Amino acid sequence: MLAKRAVRTSIRATAIGFLVGALSACVSAPPPPPQDQMSRTQVETAPADLQLLCANAVAKASGVDSTKILPVSSSKLDPKTYQVELDASGKKTRCLVDTEGNVRSVEPT
Amino acid sequence: MTRKLIIAGRAALQRKSLTAIVAAALGLVAVAALAAGTQVFDPKTRKWVDYDRTKARKYYAAHNEVPEAFRPQMVKFRTAEVPGTIIIDGNQHFLYLVQPGQRAMRYGIGVGREGFGWAGIVRVGRMAEWPTWTPPAEMIARDPNAVKHAGGMPGGPDNPLGARALYLYERDQDTIYRIHGTPEPWTIGLDVSSGCIRMRNDDITDLASRVKVGAKVIVLMQGAALYKGV
Repeated sequence: MLAKRAVRTSIRATAIGFLVGALSACVSAPPPPPQDQMSRTQVETAPADLQLLCANAVAKASGVDSTKILPVSSSKLDPKTYQVELDASGKKTRCLVDTEGNVRSVEPT
Repeated sequence: MTRKLIIAGRAALQRKSLTAIVAAALGLVAVAALAAGTQVFDPKTRKWVDYDRTKARKYYAAHNEVPEAFRPQMVKFRTAEVPGTIIIDGNQHFLYLVQPGQRAMRYGIGVGREGFGWAGIVRVGRMAEWPTWTPPAEMIARDPNAVKHAGGMPGGPDNPLGARALYLYERDQDTIYRIHGTPEPWTIGLDVSSGCIRMRNDDITDLASRVKVGAKVIVLMQGAALYKGV
């Protein structure tokens, strides 16, 4: 009788151990960001280089002098794509660029 | 007839007031949406934490240093801009100095507080070591503390322009904006200035040694109301 109780207690303890282990695995902290990404802002804008790649693409597509094209707004569409709004000498243009720096599209808005 | 006109007038006035209230509310929402609070990653707790003026000052007092993100570092930077170009990301509080090989030297910066942000394409018109600070008339009008320096504050460790200043020009015209050092290094990473871009004194000294007069400066700032040079 005592032996049975001891086995049951042991099984319970093991089960609880597995459960705690599984839960702690679920809530463990995510890996730290790379060293150059240790700060952020609540409004996530496109990285500066991607915004300017869009400006360069708009200059090529429109023929407008690149010194007259400025990114004015940007946002993250999905984990791999940013949308950048640009002002090209008063003309509003929208550009999609991926995180690898490939400009996907440029179109007037 | 007159009564009808008065009632119609009142209704129009109420509609206008309502429209004004809605517009003001929308404006506040828009401003709130653009006010991007800074967060830094705490390696000890492995959590993102808000980084405001009070926390920044405490962090600096404890470490005698700004958080790692705002210290100078070489980063990948895909660009068609020529080496020597300065690119300022006002939203993320970084200044990039373009280097050869799709890389850039990145420094932490403090930028204009709400209503003082601007964007544009300008150039470095001139540079100065331990510059004299002369507050512009607008600053003197809104800040009584600036009055005593209306004639110019000599350069030195307490001078708001810090160790170096890069004067930003739009064509041949001084924009009144500068990239400069600061006696308040804990403000790096925050929206604190009157539109100037501030850096730690060591960083602005390093930047000034690498930059040439005439260098192109691109200032990116989402939500900015003022545009220069474009």
